Amino acid sequence: MFVSRSMTRRVATIGPEASIFEAQDLMAKNRVRHIPVVEEGNKLVGIVSDRDLRSALPFKYFQEGISPEERAKLQNLRVKDIMTSKVFTISPGYTIQDALLVIQNSKVGALPVVDEEGRLKGILSVRDLLRAFINVLGIGQPGTLLCILVEEKVGQLKKIVDAITEIGVSFGSVLVARYWEEDKRAVFPYLLTQNVAHVKKKLKEMGYTLLDPMQWYLDQLPEEDRPPDQPKP
Amino acid sequence: MKRTGFLYDERYLRHQTGPYHPEVPERLTAIYEGIVQSGLIEKLIRIPAAPADLPWIVSVHTAEYVKRLEAACRAGKQMFDSPDNQMCAQTYETALLAVGGILEACRQVMEGRLDNAFCAVRPPGHHAEISRAMGFCYFNNVAIAARYIQKQFGLARVGIVDFDVHHGNGTQHIFEDDPTVYYYSIHQHPSFAYPGTGREFEYGRGDGYGFTKNSPVLPGQGDEDYQRLLERDLFPAFADYKPEAIIVSAGFDGHRDDDMSDTKLSTEFYTWMMQRIMDLANSSASGRLVSVLEGGYCLRRLPELARHHVEILLNG
Repeated sequence: MFVSRSMTRRVATIGPEASIFEAQDLMAKNRVRHIPVVEEGNKLVGIVSDRDLRSALPFKYFQEGISPEERAKLQNLRVKDIMTSKVFTISPGYTIQDALLVIQNSKVGALPVVDEEGRLKGILSVRDLLRAFINVLGIGQPGTLLCILVEEKVGQLKKIVDAITEIGVSFGSVLVARYWEEDKRAVFPYLLTQNVAHVKKKLKEMGYTLLDPMQWYLDQLPEEDRPPDQPKP
Repeated sequence: MKRTGFLYDERYLRHQTGPYHPEVPERLTAIYEGIVQSGLIEKLIRIPAAPADLPWIVSVHTAEYVKRLEAACRAGKQMFDSPDNQMCAQTYETALLAVGGILEACRQVMEGRLDNAFCAVRPPGHHAEISRAMGFCYFNNVAIAARYIQKQFGLARVGIVDFDVHHGNGTQHIFEDDPTVYYYSIHQHPSFAYPGTGREFEYGRGDGYGFTKNSPVLPGQGDEDYQRLLERDLFPAFADYKPEAIIVSAGFDGHRDDDMSDTKLSTEFYTWMMQRIMDLANSSASGRLVSVLEGGYCLRRLPELARHHVEILLNG
């Protein structure tokens, strides 16, 4: 779960002296919304986003277009004039969880990844994070989601994992979530199998309560937000 | 009364899945006994099963896959491609025999010797991908049947209705870019249930865009939601598409007494749903319908479910 595994390594970059139109072309060509600004030696000095560009260009530019004279004038505008130079960065050794918190707190759409000398190693965008989480959650892998209610004490998860492992079923992921009763937790194993009847039977025999995953979800919603046609838990 | 074909062969019991596996031969005997004890067996026309010719299998699967499966069987392997796919030495032949029987059912229906047919086969098929076995399935029975009907009888539009509680990923992927086969599936939502595909926004690809439709149903739901979604999604889609033959992937695992899902359908709902699918076949396909067993693991409920299923076929 490290940033270096999930970041985009081949990053389109631009120099601070480039014109803003060059930055715009580069974004369009690479279909990205953030371009790190680097100096010699790939040293990061700023980042320019599509929003920076939009703020710098007159509204007219996006509507009917602008005259060659106006364009020539804007041509003088450099990347360094519009870029953000106080950049939120992360290092390749950050975990994905770190990156999620940074992105949430900083409210940016992408984080340049730099080494200790400030050299650009890659970029991690919200889209890269989404991909990482789709992987982590095993979304799209063939499997079945169970929801097991357990008492909150050490060793519960191990018992469940052991029991399921004994049957020879592999895990895609396991999530643990709060439950409305304070001393309980809801465990969601995503099992890479269609054959869940046997697993369910064994867990019930072990004394666990199996919840319909929907029921857990509805428990978390205030009454008024529940879909009207859903049964009350 | 319609001329309804019934495919059942004791050799379908030879595919063994080992302990702790729900896809057991007893499923088929429960279905057969249900039909025999109700007396309906007298009214059905039995369809003989012979192994399918390989060219039909490779009209859907890769030759490499078929060879790999045969070799695994010969070598006495007990598992194939995934731990869900438990097998024995007879699995390959049984799978061939299932397809062969289904193609014979299709032939008789297409030639007008039968009006419709129910194929009680094992192993099931709708999870089987072009070159990968998944979810208890080896050959995609229904997909091969659709190809057979098209190639042999030149139909321009075949409709597949899949009401197994799991999405038929294999069937969808095989036809996702093909507008000549419409795949509709209603199943438990893929964020909760196997195989994790069949989301509402999957509509097919390329030329086949708009000829795949999925109705995912959240766990814990039953008759009401199913009816609402079928009325919203399937009935108008097929009224529009006008399939010239309908193939049904009949899975009974959404029954409220079936442990394999958290869907809570009643026996009566299965009857209602099948009657409506029959109506669709009557309105655009001259009643041509071939139903093929997929899942359904509640041995206590399978006899009645199968009985009602063939009753609808017999009444047309």
